[in-house]
Amino acid sequence: MKQRALWSALVAAGLVLAGCGSAARTESPSGDSPQKQQKLVVWDWKSGEPAAAEYIEKAKADFAKRHPDVTVEFVAQPFDQYYTLLGTAIQSSKGPDVMLFNGGGQIRDRVDALLPLEEYVAEDRSRLAGWDAFTKDGKIYAAPVTLQGHPIYYNKTLYEKAGLDPANPPKTWDEFVSGCAAIKKATGATCFALGNKEGIGIQFFMSGLGSGILTPQEYDDWIAGKRDWNSPHVRRIFELWKDANDKGLNNDGANSTAMFTDIFAVFETGKAAHIIGLMSDIGHWKDFGEFLPPDKIGVMPAPVVTEGAAPSLPYDGGIGYAVAKWTQDPKLAADLVRSLTSTDALTAFYAKAGAIASDTTIDVSQAGPAVAAIVPEIKTGKPALHVALSSKTLDLMGRLSQQLLSGSTTVDKAVEQLAAADRAR
Amino acid sequence: MKQRGRRRKADTATRPTSRGARAERLAPYVLVVPAVLIIVVLRLWPLVLGINFSFTGDGELNGTPVGLNNYLELADDPLFRTSLRNVGLLVLLLPVAVAIPGLLATFIYLRVPGHRVYRSVYFFPAVLSPVIVGAIFNLMLGFDGPLNALLRAIGAGPVDWLGDPGIAMFTVVGVHIWATFGMALVVFLAGFSTMDTSLLDAARVDGASLPQIIWHVIIPSLTRTIQFVFVTTMIGMLTSMFGLLFVMTGGGPEGSTYLPEYYIWHQQGQLNRPALASAASTVLFVVMLVVGILQITLLRRAGRRD
Repeated sequence: MKQRALWSALVAAGLVLAGCGSAARTESPSGDSPQKQQKLVVWDWKSGEPAAAEYIEKAKADFAKRHPDVTVEFVAQPFDQYYTLLGTAIQSSKGPDVMLFNGGGQIRDRVDALLPLEEYVAEDRSRLAGWDAFTKDGKIYAAPVTLQGHPIYYNKTLYEKAGLDPANPPKTWDEFVSGCAAIKKATGATCFALGNKEGIGIQFFMSGLGSGILTPQEYDDWIAGKRDWNSPHVRRIFELWKDANDKGLNNDGANSTAMFTDIFAVFETGKAAHIIGLMSDIGHWKDFGEFLPPDKIGVMPAPVVTEGAAPSLPYDGGIGYAVAKWTQDPKLAADLVRSLTSTDALTAFYAKAGAIASDTTIDVSQAGPAVAAIVPEIKTGKPALHVALSSKTLDLMGRLSQQLLSGSTTVDKAVEQLAAADRAR
Repeated sequence: MKQRGRRRKADTATRPTSRGARAERLAPYVLVVPAVLIIVVLRLWPLVLGINFSFTGDGELNGTPVGLNNYLELADDPLFRTSLRNVGLLVLLLPVAVAIPGLLATFIYLRVPGHRVYRSVYFFPAVLSPVIVGAIFNLMLGFDGPLNALLRAIGAGPVDWLGDPGIAMFTVVGVHIWATFGMALVVFLAGFSTMDTSLLDAARVDGASLPQIIWHVIIPSLTRTIQFVFVTTMIGMLTSMFGLLFVMTGGGPEGSTYLPEYYIWHQQGQLNRPALASAASTVLFVVMLVVGILQITLLRRAGRRD
């Protein structure tokens, strides 16, 4: 009996409290501390990698020149838990002063915890590219370190075997498909290497081919947030996704093949002729170069699907460093961000880690034909289509894309659901 | 009763002061305070906080009461409904998960040739972490993996073990059973060691067949063991599938292998919706409470029958 009374009391207490407080910590004014800050803590998932060691060193040296009495501690977190850990830190308003973010949804969802940086990074604005991915409502929240984009890589050896000209990749979708048929016949390789286990394949597909499907006007509207989901061209993206699979352009078992990193192996071993890959971190020119000779990796612009489309390189700021709102000395933390994006540091990052760095002044002429094909496109490139979508919409798109491949939903239904999710944001 | 009465009399006789009496009266409370504090501060208080958070909003609505909105959103989210359905599926598959170690333990007990080897081999997967098990089976069950190569060799078409939404959940549960049945097997073997062998001998003398022995002798004498294994397997299935799911399917394909735990993690960690995740946790808590109470009643009833 007593026990029951205790329980009801607890439940009642719970209900009385219900709806007050908050799941994420509300901001509390951080007390201005009079003494000078001696230490900055940086969270990222990069600094632990040997390939990034030189980059971190250069950045630290640059920062030490300006602030010799401040120590900087880099804490490398595991990437698959990074945003979970960061979420906990944000809720308690305690944690790193400077932190690494992926551009797009991951940072935009968390700008409440970040410091706008425009006044600190003004000098770097023209030197670095890729700011858009770290901007929300006109405010910049992080400085870009790398550019991330989705070039279409192709295997020149397979092109040669099929009697196609590797120096002259197909310009239109029809040419592309007939070229693929020739490759399949000659070598048995499929057209695309597609891994959609995590539902990421559709993001690469949408962004990699999107500029050949949407008209330039539609493309810009999409990025600006005016997304017309009823447009036949938007619908065409998903039709093409389904068609490509139905016509056997993809490798088998796309829904159970992981994008990271199983599918890259399919491309590297010559089992598929094309892959919509990345520019930085993984799945890119340098990565493939371990298995394919660098001169056999080509990069092509998106084949034109609809007339009037103007293919461009889809890219955004890949990763960038942001400053937490709760840091004691915002100027100091912002200075560290500037050191982390200095030309010296970024040059080291580009050379060692195999990333297209955000700094447009870096000389890349030594890096091989794939990079040589990518870098000049940066000037005319546009933000990738999928980066403009919220993480919730992307999550839904991942599941719907799997359903489209397995045939358990139709293009119409999928587009309808995506439109609803995009509008609800 | 009598004894206690006598002792109380003795106490009254030797009670020195009223202060001592108060100390004695308070002593039990003082002694349970640490336990109560631990439970209240580390268990009940976070629970109440979590329930409380589930009635607030996310993002811009952070900290504002939103009533039942989060729960309505959950009810409306096909992904969350799938995750609850999958819990139901796990409950339905429970008999299989109990029958497999039960049968294998029976064979070991009946001394099939090589039973000593089997005993240790069966237990081996139980010491592997779910992440390792998941990684191994990811390789084995990949679309162009060895299992499908074997199927192709014998003329059966390849099966997309982890890519077909109708199959993936069964695949993961199958791997989970493979990885954990060793523990249940040990419990069964322990149960067998307490069994009255004369019953078995009698059945054999009477000419009972193996299925008859299992059905009429072994199962009735192992009722309590079977119930215990049911409860522990259930708990294992509902609470420790996260690692496997994370490594093997990531909730996919098409969201078909979501479980509430995975959903909660996804909303909190990936989509930055802590309040919605709190609501999902509360629902999971209620589900587990109901399942737990059912199991306790079941066990208690079984205990009484004995």
